[in-house]
Amino acid sequence: MNRLYDMEPRVMDDDMLKLAVGEQGPREEAGQLAKQEGILFKDVVSLQLDFQNILRIDNLWQFESLQKLQLDNNIIEKIEGLENLTRLVWLDLSFNNIEAIEGLDTLVNLEDLSLFNNRISKIDSLDALVKLQVLSLGNNHIGNMMNIIYLRRFKALRTLSLSGNPVAEDEDYKMFICAYLPDLVYLDFRRLDDHMKELAEMKHQYSIDELKHRENLMQARLEDEQARREELEEHKAAFVEQLNGTFLFDSMYAEDVEGSKLSHLPGVGELLEAYKDKFVIICLNIFEYGLKQQEKRKAELDTFMECVQEAIQENQEQGKLKIAKFEEKHLLSLNAIREESELSSIETKIVEYSEDITELFNVLMTLEMQLVEQLEETINMFERNIIDLVGLFVENVQSLMAQCRDLENHHHEKLLEIAINILEKIVKGEMDEDLPDDVRSLFVDKDTIVNAVGASHDIHLLKIDNREDELVTRVNSWCTHLLDKIHKDEIMRNRKRVKEINQYVDHVQSELDSLECGDLLD
Amino acid sequence: MEVLKEKVEEEEAAEREEAAERAERGEKTKRPMEVRREETTMTQEMLRDLERKLSEIEVSVPEKLLAFTKDTIDTSKLPLSYQSNTLKEEHLLQVADNFSRQYSHLCPDRVPLFLHPLNECEVPKFVSTTIRPTLMPYPELYNWDTCAQFISDFLSMVPLPDPLKPPLYLYSSTTVLKYQKGNCFDFSTLLCSMLIGAGYDAYCVNGYGSQDLCHMDLTREVCPLTMKPKESVKEEEKAPPKKYAIKPPRDLTSRFEQEQEMKRQEAIKAEEENRRKQEEARLLEQENAKTDPLHGLRVHSWVLVLSGKREVPESFFIDPFTARSYSTQDDHFLGIESLWNHKNYWVNMQDCWNCCKDLVFDLGDPVRWEYLLLGTDKPFLSLTEEEDEGMNDDDDVENLGKEDEDKSFDMPPSWVEQIEISPEAFETRCPNGKKVIQYKRAKLEKWAPYLNNNGLVCRLTTYEDLECTKTLEMKEWYQNREDMLELKHINKITGLNVDYFKPGHPQALRVHSYKSMQPEMDRVMEFYETARVDGLIKREETPKTMTEHYQGRPDFLSYRHVNFGPRMKKLALNSAESNPRPMVKITERFFRNPAKPADEDVAERVFLIAEERIQLRYHCRSDHITANKREFLRRTEVDSKGNKIIMTPDMCISFEVEPMEHTKKLLYQYEAMMKLKNEEKLSRHQAWESELEVLEILKLREEEEEAHTLTISIYDTKRNEKSKEYREAMERVLHEEHLRQVEAQLDYLAPFLAQLPPGEKLTRWQAVRLKDECLNDFKQRLIDKANLIQARFEKETQELQKKQQWYQENQVTLTPEDEDLYLSYCSQAMFRIRILEQRLSRHKELAPLKYLALEEKLYKDPRLVELLKVFV
Repeated sequence: MNRLYDMEPRVMDDDMLKLAVGEQGPREEAGQLAKQEGILFKDVVSLQLDFQNILRIDNLWQFESLQKLQLDNNIIEKIEGLENLTRLVWLDLSFNNIEAIEGLDTLVNLEDLSLFNNRISKIDSLDALVKLQVLSLGNNHIGNMMNIIYLRRFKALRTLSLSGNPVAEDEDYKMFICAYLPDLVYLDFRRLDDHMKELAEMKHQYSIDELKHRENLMQARLEDEQARREELEEHKAAFVEQLNGTFLFDSMYAEDVEGSKLSHLPGVGELLEAYKDKFVIICLNIFEYGLKQQEKRKAELDTFMECVQEAIQENQEQGKLKIAKFEEKHLLSLNAIREESELSSIETKIVEYSEDITELFNVLMTLEMQLVEQLEETINMFERNIIDLVGLFVENVQSLMAQCRDLENHHHEKLLEIAINILEKIVKGEMDEDLPDDVRSLFVDKDTIVNAVGASHDIHLLKIDNREDELVTRVNSWCTHLLDKIHKDEIMRNRKRVKEINQYVDHVQSELDSLECGDLLD
Repeated sequence: MEVLKEKVEEEEAAEREEAAERAERGEKTKRPMEVRREETTMTQEMLRDLERKLSEIEVSVPEKLLAFTKDTIDTSKLPLSYQSNTLKEEHLLQVADNFSRQYSHLCPDRVPLFLHPLNECEVPKFVSTTIRPTLMPYPELYNWDTCAQFISDFLSMVPLPDPLKPPLYLYSSTTVLKYQKGNCFDFSTLLCSMLIGAGYDAYCVNGYGSQDLCHMDLTREVCPLTMKPKESVKEEEKAPPKKYAIKPPRDLTSRFEQEQEMKRQEAIKAEEENRRKQEEARLLEQENAKTDPLHGLRVHSWVLVLSGKREVPESFFIDPFTARSYSTQDDHFLGIESLWNHKNYWVNMQDCWNCCKDLVFDLGDPVRWEYLLLGTDKPFLSLTEEEDEGMNDDDDVENLGKEDEDKSFDMPPSWVEQIEISPEAFETRCPNGKKVIQYKRAKLEKWAPYLNNNGLVCRLTTYEDLECTKTLEMKEWYQNREDMLELKHINKITGLNVDYFKPGHPQALRVHSYKSMQPEMDRVMEFYETARVDGLIKREETPKTMTEHYQGRPDFLSYRHVNFGPRMKKLALNSAESNPRPMVKITERFFRNPAKPADEDVAERVFLIAEERIQLRYHCRSDHITANKREFLRRTEVDSKGNKIIMTPDMCISFEVEPMEHTKKLLYQYEAMMKLKNEEKLSRHQAWESELEVLEILKLREEEEEAHTLTISIYDTKRNEKSKEYREAMERVLHEEHLRQVEAQLDYLAPFLAQLPPGEKLTRWQAVRLKDECLNDFKQRLIDKANLIQARFEKETQELQKKQQWYQENQVTLTPEDEDLYLSYCSQAMFRIRILEQRLSRHKELAPLKYLALEEKLYKDPRLVELLKVFV
């Protein structure tokens, strides 16, 4: 703790970084080159900034490819400014004044972290460091043994140092760590022997088992959730999510005040039950049909992609073959030109060679054009088929939905009948059953009750329409997106290939040109 | 009755013309039915003619035959069953005779049946009882092919004494095995015994075969080893065109021209085919020019295996001489007289005019196959059961009127002893462990393992011509070699040698093909790459290059090609090892390293060492058709100011499909170049090491060829000297242990008890006397022994003293040799005296103890203990 506080804190500015980079860069001949050219910060792999009296980490955002960073023996108080260094594997922040672990959430590749001799009192915020192998937290202020349980989540952790913390004074310290971190190999720079591990396990078996049980439960829950989410995702892709149950039906009645009121009427309960059953069956039909159609579309898409891939591969193979043949010849002719001494024959050879180049270019371009034509045809065919498929799907879903609507209408009529009957009974005073007050208030006159039943009906129809619309729009937009993407990809591919061919031919041509120049100079 | 009468007449005619009988029979056997019809029209003239023709035929009886007659067999040691017949056998013989009589009566034009030839003891034995079904303890003999192969190897063939008649003698299989030779009947009897033992439905067949078959002549057959396994051209299943498969570009060539071209090609091909066919026909004619005058008359015996048992799908013949299997329609088999197994005997009643092609092997059909014994479990006619039964009976009565006694009669057990083959004999296989088979344009030689000290077990020589004078190539198979050499293939025309090795060669060698063992020549070595650390598969060499193929290396190297320049002149005196050829060019190729992006993963690098140039070609990305290239020119020049130029842009020419920024930097290029420089050194070193390895392997191969040591399995108790020694030592120890035990059980009282009257109980007085006598005797013995040692000791001392005296007297006149003699005698005598002294003292020490021990023992002796108890 005998830090030299007389020195003024320094700022991590450009000069400091440049100096450090220059000093730590390549040596000797390579160093000269490096000096000539300068080194870009984003190419630096390792950086050492120790004993610089740095107070604040700053200006490191350019070092994108940095893998090793040493910032030890400074007076840094807070971990910050490291967000961009995602490639970092090795981070040394020992002998600083850091009080809390933070700002490491983007360093997913970090394997070795040293926070030795700081003022940290709690281990946390390390969740992102899934590859962590070595963690040094000695000489800090960690006092609570429970911090160690937090470290159980790092499956790759093998080395840990915690000496010099209040925790380490506990007599059970070593045993506790051994028991709770069974994969650990080195603790406080010493190897943990197997005997020790066994002892520790026996001692803490009970609590560890409990912990494990809890962890397992948690894990299972997470997995469950994951599976559910995936399933829903799958259904969504088929555009029939939540149609495999009463969800739609329930939602119809969720906002329907009158409907729920009317359901208390005698006879409506049974009617509602029967209606619900039928409705759910249709929903299930839609759901199953949707999944089936989804599979069909997927198979269609897969075969299409496969065929396109095959075609492209084959075409590429042909192109490669052509280029390989050309290259063989190219080497020979270049050598021949080089060794030829007579000027006239050089010229004829050069002419011959450039003819070869043009021919290669033509051949490659023809191949590409051929492929483009073939693919266009295939894509058009696919487009037709997929649109047909989607159209069929929509049509069938719509007819099923119409069945739903029929059901609703039917139900509505029945309900209306019952309602009017009851109204008549009430008017005649024959109603002997007790009705809740809010329900009874509907039966003042015919208009009210008809309106109420009508409103309920309208809401139901609206819900069904909405669901239908949603499905149809989504499936259509999916289709257009897919087709757009296919077209765009193909265009991109074509451009890239043309560019590639041009580039290659240019390169070959330039080689020839340089040779010519060289010859002329000679 | 008409037919019968006719037959009787025929019989009489046959008797009259006894001279012609043999010929007739031969003719008839070939086509029994046909001839019968013809014979009515046969005139005396024709018969005489036939007789004359037949007498012209010379039957050459090889001398070898004489070596295997009854005289050479020691019959005295054979068991009783060989020398006499049991009652049942006698009965059977009578039945057989009866059957034979009826048969000759009904079918007088056919040869007499081969029913009960004499065995080695001149006792007639029925053929079925000569078959002794035996399952051999060798797994190799469990299947018909290997079993037949074994018999054909194990026995040497002796032709029949009369090629037109079945033999008079049929020896037991044990005798045949003992002498390792036999005729076709011996062969097939033995094979049949073993096959039935192994569960096959096998039968011995007496019939007629072609000349090649009867003489075991394979010179017209193509050697099965030379035939190349037919390459089954696998038709690659063409997946049905997928829904979205692209349409091929339009074909713009003329269909008509194509057709014309096709036609032309076909015409040429047809012509060629024609010519080839003609050529073949001509050759065939040449080969088959010699026709056999005795065709169809030569008696042969082979084995028929019927389908059904042991999952045999189809009936087939096995020729026991060659161990080849033939279909029942084969041209070599010209007719069947009869067949039998260990249970019954069947006579063929079918017409053999078309060889065996039309024969139906349904032995349950009494029209086609006349059986000797009823009631054996032979396959019924393939009709329904009841009908079968009834028909059997009917036929029985109608055809031969067989008596009821036959029905209850079954085959007596075989008279032949258990067939045994010793493991030594089994391993040696061929007589004397050697066998030569001549095929068409090929010769096959076989040896027993360990017979040749270089491990050679088989050699196949193929010739260019039919006379076998010009060698085409040689194949030699080896076994049990320590260098794991398996097959040596020598092509005499190209001079190419190819050695094949089994896994386990110290250098993991698999195939080595070469023309000469000199280094730096054309050669190809293939390796078991999994056994090698460097994953080398193949190394090809020519005088100027070396190419290596690798697989499964962590650095993904797949190929290295080295071009060598001419050797430096000034160092020419040195050996190849110390003066490697300069390398001009090294080409290395790499597999794709999936951990690296394709455009940073080097696919090929070429070190042009002489030009100081390095060329790199990278892998091609999956969506590209061109690949990155880079060329480094290493020049160490000095610029105008005299500074060394480290790196200039023109030292690295690169083509990048997708230009990257960092690769443009000189620093990057410089570093890459430095790295490549190091790797070039490394590659050169590795190439040099490869050269050394070649030399090493060649040296090793030469040593191995010279030493050709054979390995001996630890389970081979006969040959493994070490284990044998160990086993013998163990046996010796056991034996000694046993002796000691016997000694311990020696009865020390026996001599004294013997003096007393036997069977009487000892009285106490007698017991006491017995004890005392025993002890006294022992004491006397001890004293005697002490005296003996003492006497010897004294004698030795005296002799020594005498010698010393003599020496002192003659010391002056002694020659050095005598002196030496004397000195050695002295030291020996001193040694003897010392030993005797020691013995004496030891005896003195031990004698009382021994005495006490005996006394103690006597007190405890169960015979005396009761009587001596009082005195204790």
